[in-house]
Amino acid sequence: MRLEKGVISSLQLFFLVNCFIQGALLPLTFAYPISKHDTWLAVIAAMIIGSVIALVYISLANLFPGKNFVQINDLIYGPYLGKFISSQYSLFFLITLSGYLWFIGDFVLTFIMPETPMSFIMIMFAFVCAWAVRQGIEVIARMSVVFAFIPAIIVFITSAMLLKEMKFTNFLPVLEIPIRDLIQSTHIITHISFSQVLVFLMIIPSLNEQRRAKKPILLGMISAGLILVIGTLRNIATLGPLSPVVTSPSMEAVRLIDIGKILTRLEIFVAMAQILLLFTISCIFYYAAVLSIAQMTKLRTYQPLVVIIGVLSIVLALISYQSRMQLSYSIMYNTPIISLHFYLVLPFMSLIVAKLRKLPQNNGRN
Amino acid sequence: MLSYLLSRLKYLKLLGQNYKLSQSNSTASKDKDEKSTTSYLSASLKNNLNLFKESLGNNYDVVIREFTINMPKQVDGALIYLTGMTDSKIVNDSILKPLMFESQLDKTTLTSKLDTIEMIRTTMLSVGEVSKSNSINDLVDNCMAGTSILLVDGCTEALLIMTADWKARSVDEPKTESVVRGSREGFIENLLTNTTLLRRKIKNPDLVLESMKIGQRTKTNVCIAYIKGLANPSLIDEIKRRLNNIHTDSILESGYIEQFIEDAPFSIFATVGNTEKPDSVAAKILEGRAAIFVDGTPFVLTVPLLLVENFQTSEDYYSRPYFVSFIRLIRFMAYLISILAPATYVALTTFHQELIPTPLLFSMASAQEGVPFPAIAEAIGMGVIFEILREAGVRLPRPVGQAVSIVGALVIGQSAVTAGLIGAPMVIVVALTAVASFVVPAQTDSGGVLRIVFVALAGFSGGFGIMIGLIGLFIHLTSLRSFGTPFLSPIAPLSVADLKDTFIRAPLWAMITRPSFIGSQDPKRKDFRLKPSPPSEKESQSE
Repeated sequence: MRLEKGVISSLQLFFLVNCFIQGALLPLTFAYPISKHDTWLAVIAAMIIGSVIALVYISLANLFPGKNFVQINDLIYGPYLGKFISSQYSLFFLITLSGYLWFIGDFVLTFIMPETPMSFIMIMFAFVCAWAVRQGIEVIARMSVVFAFIPAIIVFITSAMLLKEMKFTNFLPVLEIPIRDLIQSTHIITHISFSQVLVFLMIIPSLNEQRRAKKPILLGMISAGLILVIGTLRNIATLGPLSPVVTSPSMEAVRLIDIGKILTRLEIFVAMAQILLLFTISCIFYYAAVLSIAQMTKLRTYQPLVVIIGVLSIVLALISYQSRMQLSYSIMYNTPIISLHFYLVLPFMSLIVAKLRKLPQNNGRN
Repeated sequence: MLSYLLSRLKYLKLLGQNYKLSQSNSTASKDKDEKSTTSYLSASLKNNLNLFKESLGNNYDVVIREFTINMPKQVDGALIYLTGMTDSKIVNDSILKPLMFESQLDKTTLTSKLDTIEMIRTTMLSVGEVSKSNSINDLVDNCMAGTSILLVDGCTEALLIMTADWKARSVDEPKTESVVRGSREGFIENLLTNTTLLRRKIKNPDLVLESMKIGQRTKTNVCIAYIKGLANPSLIDEIKRRLNNIHTDSILESGYIEQFIEDAPFSIFATVGNTEKPDSVAAKILEGRAAIFVDGTPFVLTVPLLLVENFQTSEDYYSRPYFVSFIRLIRFMAYLISILAPATYVALTTFHQELIPTPLLFSMASAQEGVPFPAIAEAIGMGVIFEILREAGVRLPRPVGQAVSIVGALVIGQSAVTAGLIGAPMVIVVALTAVASFVVPAQTDSGGVLRIVFVALAGFSGGFGIMIGLIGLFIHLTSLRSFGTPFLSPIAPLSVADLKDTFIRAPLWAMITRPSFIGSQDPKRKDFRLKPSPPSEKESQSE
């Protein structure tokens, strides 16, 4: 029996992935201090590497059409080891969700509402996320179609408006930083955006055409990756040596727009657009966490878990980090290493084990 | 607390189920009762008349006219009808006169084997619609709807003669949807006239008008109109299923039906549309929708309803596309202003002063100086005062309404500012909001609620609160459905082809397909290559 009855089209999946990757524009902040003005190269590298990793996930999904990640784990590793691995992933989704909640709380606190307690912002944000998750994947996917356009248009328009401020000498010399730093930065960007496409293994079963997930996911990743590259280029060209220093390069770059003293302070639009994207990302992780737990515990519906997981993630976010520096340090140096286990090792291993056990054939016969 | 609420909800649910069970039981038993007590006509006229007197009571508008039918052998007869609901001219000239004086029976008919009642029906009555029945209940029901009943002595059947006609308002311009260009006729309270108005727009046998009676006591006529071959059969089945599920005693207006069949009863957005104009009903039916006419009201329901329909008017399609597209965008903007303007003002003045350009900030600050209330209190207060003035203006008779508007504009607006109770910018914002809210009349009610919600959100958490509110609104709109059609289509889910009639209105020759989400059976509306162009050179040469 399937937990999710909603069906999404491949166009909606495309926009969902697009939103998901575009939302990394703000978290990319964490890569600037390491790769400095070569960050755009790191984004392109991460896009290519991320697409290759995504191919692994998609082939895993194609081996077991109609099965979500938890069911796939059960089939590959058997009920006990499979449950163990799935529970690791559920926890991982939950932790990522709480990380995003903390990030949005910190972002809003820094740029929009400096005097509001962070827990209040998180609760409001988690509330709308919970509302969307209760409505199911269909509603989230439909909303992403609209949400994908607004930030993309804003990136293009602000890039055009900032042409006056841009100095293209800021990119020179290309590849100044040691290659080690570039690799580290690529790793961080892959970790905070592209390889997170893993979470779509929970959503692909809702696609109306099984086995057709490859095209929308890859196209979504690449199109959104290009927008990320444009945004990064804009930031570096505008801010130059400042870009590794400021709190959020995107916001600071757009703040410089001043056309005829009328079009100023446009960063509020960037903030609003990014909130939409972060909302979509949080919803997807929230949904994946809730659905994976419901699947593991064999519930008939995931609805009762929504509020519980929301409260848990808020509490987890509040106790995980005390300051922005802690979050930065964790995302820059700790979690990329841990996430290798989830994003690379386990999926590759699953694919190899599935091939060795010739599982899809058995599955086809059933 | 949550579990307590849940248990209450569960209780309500169970209550509903029990009620449904008992309802179905009672209707079943009622059917049985009706069958057992249904009495039929006997052969004796005197007995029959007594039966009728019993069931019709001593209503003063019931007329029982006994007379003798002038057939070769004289037969007693009686005509029963309601004065006021029947056309006395038909009763006098087409029923009573031929029966009493102008018998046209010749020998051949007399010798034929037809019984008396059949003979009267075929040869003596000059009325269009005549049928036979022998059940008293059926006869009485029809009599109540304006039909005359002819009883003949010695017959166990009676004739139902269609004579219904009563005074009705004449067809005139609808009050709620006035137009500059386009048909000026609007629906009236008479069902037959309304369906006729529609039939005159669509002269096609495929236009199906299916009638049913709803309301155990009022027995209101309800009519579903759709075009066979265009409307999705599953949509029609769904409408019929929902209409048949209405077990209520009275239907007085189409609003009753609307509230019984809508998809989201707890939403502030209506998911069933209504209109007073035959041409917009015709256009909607031609897109594959269905209309529900209810006797006694000029408001006709249309389903399914999409959000964008609230921003469209019939006039959009009669005018040229460029200006209409501009006006469409203005309407969307006006709706956003009407729900967001006070909230934005509150958020800006309370939390984000740095976003206001500096010269403007100075003038706003000087205007706000000495005002005792916080912005949120001002916004909510002015909003409530505006709603009070509006409601007073609607309910009061015209001459008094003007007095209200003078009091509202001068006394409350002007004096409050000069007295320093309210800042002048707030009055401007509220006035702008008020004007903007009238641009989209169908959403004035939802806008009023949303405005208050957004002001509250903005007052407590500024721009972030507005953002959260907008996301919540969007979630709600996306999750709504109207008879299976996503409410926010064609925006979410996206349908690029249908965007031609959403934010802009494409030229008519370019609108080739019907809206895809309504699920029309025949998606193509018109031919390609209808774009008008000057005659090509070849043609002009040949001429």
